[in-house]
Amino acid sequence: MFRIALKMLAADRAKFVGLLFGIAFTSFLVTFAASYFCGFMTNGFALISENGATDVWVMDPAVQSVEQTINMSASALDRVRSVEGVSRAVPLALGNADVRFANGQFQTFQVIGVDDASLAGAPVVPGRNPDELRARDAVIVDAGGTSGKLETPALARDQWPHDGAHLDAPTRELRGGDELLVNEHLVRVLGQSSTVPRYPPRPLLYTTLSNALRILPVEPHTLTFVMARTVAGASPREVARRIEQRTGLRARSTADFKSDTVRWFLVNSEDVGDIAAMLTLAMTMGFGVTGVMLYMFTYEHQSQYAVLKALGTPSGTLTAMVLAQAAMCALLGTGMGLGLCGIAGEVVVRLGFPFRMMWFTPLAGLLGVVLVSVAAALISVRPVVKLQPAVVFAGR
Amino acid sequence: MTGADQEPAVRCRGLTKHYGSGNERVDALRGVDLDVRSGELLMLVGPSGCGKTTLISIITTILDQDDGSCEVLGRDVGRMTEAERTRFRGESVGFVFQAFNLLPALTALENVSVPLLVSGVAREVAEQRARSVLEEVGLGARADVLPRKLSGGQQQRVAIGRALVHDPKLVVCDEPTSNLDAKTGHEMMDILRGVARASDRALIVVTHDNRTFDYADRMARMEDGRIVEVSEGGRQGAQS
Ligand SMILES: Nc1ncnc2c1ncn2[C@@H]1O[C@H](COP(=O)(O)OP(=O)(O)O)[C@@H](O)[C@H]1O
Ligand SMILES: [Mg+2]
Repeated sequence: MFRIALKMLAADRAKFVGLLFGIAFTSFLVTFAASYFCGFMTNGFALISENGATDVWVMDPAVQSVEQTINMSASALDRVRSVEGVSRAVPLALGNADVRFANGQFQTFQVIGVDDASLAGAPVVPGRNPDELRARDAVIVDAGGTSGKLETPALARDQWPHDGAHLDAPTRELRGGDELLVNEHLVRVLGQSSTVPRYPPRPLLYTTLSNALRILPVEPHTLTFVMARTVAGASPREVARRIEQRTGLRARSTADFKSDTVRWFLVNSEDVGDIAAMLTLAMTMGFGVTGVMLYMFTYEHQSQYAVLKALGTPSGTLTAMVLAQAAMCALLGTGMGLGLCGIAGEVVVRLGFPFRMMWFTPLAGLLGVVLVSVAAALISVRPVVKLQPAVVFAGR
Repeated sequence: MTGADQEPAVRCRGLTKHYGSGNERVDALRGVDLDVRSGELLMLVGPSGCGKTTLISIITTILDQDDGSCEVLGRDVGRMTEAERTRFRGESVGFVFQAFNLLPALTALENVSVPLLVSGVAREVAEQRARSVLEEVGLGARADVLPRKLSGGQQQRVAIGRALVHDPKLVVCDEPTSNLDAKTGHEMMDILRGVARASDRALIVVTHDNRTFDYADRMARMEDGRIVEVSEGGRQGAQS
């Protein structure tokens, strides 16, 4: 009887193909949307990811994410270091600065001050010795997901001119040896790094903590995060809880801090909220269309099911037949959709958009489509099961 | 021929059935008494809307009666559960419909196999049996053709094959010739006639096609929800 069910499906070629495309489109939409969202969020917690050696993040008790921060007093570092289970702890300072380029243009940068001793958290610049960052006023710049914002005048006569800004001077990309003006401090660019793009995108300026303190406006507190490593074998969550107890600060394992940040974006960022809402809408639409199409397919084959029922096919078998049709459509359609999503993802990534197909996104897409298909099939099978086979006697 | 003293294949007493309620109420059956014997072809005739289809729907367990009793092949139809009815139809009843009702996705052979597949017969066995039935109804050569490629008469032959493949003791045909031309209609009735003669099977043929009356062993005439007359041998000069 399954064979008959599948033949019925394949015989109605136009509807079958429509159904497959509908489901493929839905699973594509769902997976693509989810991957896009994952991509955004991955960029949203880029700073956490790029400090992969950190097990526990310690911050002011009010801080909820890596995106919106307030500093704590510098003494926090020693307090964290003294907690049992912490093998190593380094400071990290974040700040914002309006940076002026040599032609008079400016850009707001996020300044990331890393531990002078270990340089933990500093990116690599190809061809430069990491130690060079320790030099007074040395910085590493990074596009941080922006494009065309790290430009300095191409010609020497347009650099720091005495006759006022040369805003329209021809430019080239910043590179090692260029100079920038940060709050009236001249800094020297070691080179450009290319770390994980940020969400929202922003140019980055990495430097040592001591440089950062020098160039950032004076603040009473200067420490944004303490990045701790746990001793071998200790659970980061356990150590985080202990740090919170001992210091009164907020401490989160890396994984927890990433989820905190995602949640913070969902709640606080209107853009992310909009994206999430749009994705939800897209998914609902896709699922709705899939469900309705499957329902219609069964509905339009009711007279055939009535014949089968009149000929003695039990309701259980009819249900199994409808489910087999739905499952077939769901699997084939999702396969097509996911394949398409993989290809599209490749293209989108090449175009520089945040797109991250995590292991669970296609799985969630498949699960969603199968669930919706089965639900639609079960709903559409109800009239079939309740069907009065008497309709088979109708003339034509 | 079969004796009248033998237990009939179908015995209906005082059957009633209505559709709808209030102003919409239609009393389709108003107390039907009917016996159908094994081995006979009973023709059920009467004007459109007199309740013929309703009656055979109840006899074949497709519809519930309101009142009265209906025994088919020794079983009280009114007392069967839904599952028992479904099973009963699958095992003991063959159907030929006015609109043929073949499954468009299946070939002639596959359509004929359906009743066997429904009862769980393996596909190879079912199709082998179906092939020989198709030969019997004269369609052996077109076994692997889809219904839409067949003429009306050929489709109805497939339908007759499907009604017979599982060797049911009761075969019910609702106006089997009304969508066919006269010649094809006669061919169809010849086949059905042979089917009834060949075994201890009971055949009910609903028709208002008077060209086919000759084929009946007995004719039951319905009017307004009642059987008003049963006459022996609509078939003049029956040879036997
Ligand atoms: N499902 C139904 N709902 C309401 N009325 C029905 C239904 N089926 C049949 N009827 C009515 O019952 C009467 C008998 O119908 P039917 O048994 O189909 O007659 P016949 O087959 O002799 O033409 C008719 O008046 C018809 O309109
Ligand atoms: Mg009728």
